[in-house]
Amino acid sequence: MSDFYAANLVLIQSTFIGILLALSVQVPMRAGVFSFAGAGSYGIGAYVSAILVLKTGMPSLLAILISGIVAMVVGLLLGLLVAHLGGLYLAMATVSFDLIVSVLAINGGDLTGGVTGLFGVLSDVTIFHLIGLALLGIVGVALTERGRVGRRVDAVRDDPELAQSVGISVRRYRLAAFVVSGLLGSVAGSLNSLVRSTISPSDIGFSLIVLALTMIIVGGAQSWKGAVLGAVIFTWLPPLLAGFGQLQHVVYGVIVATAAIFVPGGLYGIYSEARYRRTRAKRKPPQGEAPAHEQALAISVPNGDAGRSA
Amino acid sequence: MLEITDLYAGYGQIEAVRGLSLSVDPGRVTLLLGANGAGKSTTLRTVAGLHPPTSGTVVLNGVDVTGQPAHKMVRHGVSLVPEGRRVLAPMTVLENLRLGAYTADKAAYARTLAEVNAMFPILADRSNGAAGLLSGGEQQMLAFGRALMSQPKIMLLDEPSMGLAPAVTDRILANVRTMANSGIGILMVEQNAEAGLEVADHVIAVARGEVVFAGPAEAARANASVLRAFLGEAALAGESGA
Repeated sequence: MSDFYAANLVLIQSTFIGILLALSVQVPMRAGVFSFAGAGSYGIGAYVSAILVLKTGMPSLLAILISGIVAMVVGLLLGLLVAHLGGLYLAMATVSFDLIVSVLAINGGDLTGGVTGLFGVLSDVTIFHLIGLALLGIVGVALTERGRVGRRVDAVRDDPELAQSVGISVRRYRLAAFVVSGLLGSVAGSLNSLVRSTISPSDIGFSLIVLALTMIIVGGAQSWKGAVLGAVIFTWLPPLLAGFGQLQHVVYGVIVATAAIFVPGGLYGIYSEARYRRTRAKRKPPQGEAPAHEQALAISVPNGDAGRSA
Repeated sequence: MLEITDLYAGYGQIEAVRGLSLSVDPGRVTLLLGANGAGKSTTLRTVAGLHPPTSGTVVLNGVDVTGQPAHKMVRHGVSLVPEGRRVLAPMTVLENLRLGAYTADKAAYARTLAEVNAMFPILADRSNGAAGLLSGGEQQMLAFGRALMSQPKIMLLDEPSMGLAPAVTDRILANVRTMANSGIGILMVEQNAEAGLEVADHVIAVARGEVVFAGPAEAARANASVLRAFLGEAALAGESGA
């Protein structure tokens, strides 16, 4: 084991957990669903896994699987409950869901350990579990961004009415986003409590929602690449900012605010927009088969999907 | 054929469609005329399943499909081409067409695509180009093509000429006639009444959600001055009612 690995083990572990957490918010965002329920699912995963391992001593992977199923069912029920909500109202409802999960954790008595949480969750989770599950999450999400399924998700986000008009059940896709988000968030939370051997309400509170949202805003919600980018940046940034001493929170805040204001599509959005402009510049003008005045009336192309998804 | 009987639909307290009845026959173009706010788009959206009817029935080839959600209406053979074309700009022309084939029989996909490309050769030429780079008229053809990919029995066209130059409008409306001639029943809303009348078989005029004229297109054409007077009057009245 290299010195770097040993010195930064906690950050390396956090990176893979952060990737899964960021994906749990990016997946619904990409489908046009403004849900932050991933943070609540993280809490569900963290506590259910910890309780299962503490009480029954079951193998970690089984605990992660069971927590994942629980979070998917909860995600489905939440999705059904808020099916008629959109935009800001949906965002608020899912933030409330996250806060309800942390309130349950605080008031769960002996089962959740109250304010102090649970300790001594001894597990056999290794860095290879973390890498493997994060890769599985990335590949799974990446596959939904390609080909046929990717185009349908794009249609559901960019023009839900049009998607319905070609026969896509927008409702079903939105519910699927809640379920997938539940699974990803839950796995992230499970890994966190199993790796750290402890979980407390302060790990799943409002700051977790802010962290997940920050990763997506700065990284970009259009692609899994944005989620990975955001997760890496916001896992490694705080320790790097430690050099600023008392000013580190100010610097952190300025970076996030700058990204949110000036780079609405996130860092990945900058890249995809540049690529889009390049292909557009390459295209030759049409060769006279359409009259010039008609060209002038052509609908202008929106700037990729930057901004819309952030 | 599509039969709409005594359809009511609205938004909250506002009734946009009041007791509208009409039918759409295979191979024929039914033109729905009226001023802004007369309830034309609401009628199309209600038939397409994007908006719930308050009462009334929509029957397709003897099957009651009233209130079915939009994604199921496509499976019944009713395809909406929404106002403003709404192509998915970053996707290629072919990807837009494929999206239209979402509900269609996989075996018939290649044949339908060939038919669409034969009807709109520009779509075959631009197959791999971004849909957002097409001109307005070409985007409208793509929107038609996308709807055709689901092999519809009935097409609902909302303002196909919107934002297009007159010469392009004529071409687009000629396409509407071609699609009808292939056996599809078409219900079309068109602001450009004169151009719309050129291709229509049957005309329904609505004002404030109610039918005020229904008859063959020849009768409406012969009555063009009367019709124009009515549309003008309705347009003035429509400003407060819209």
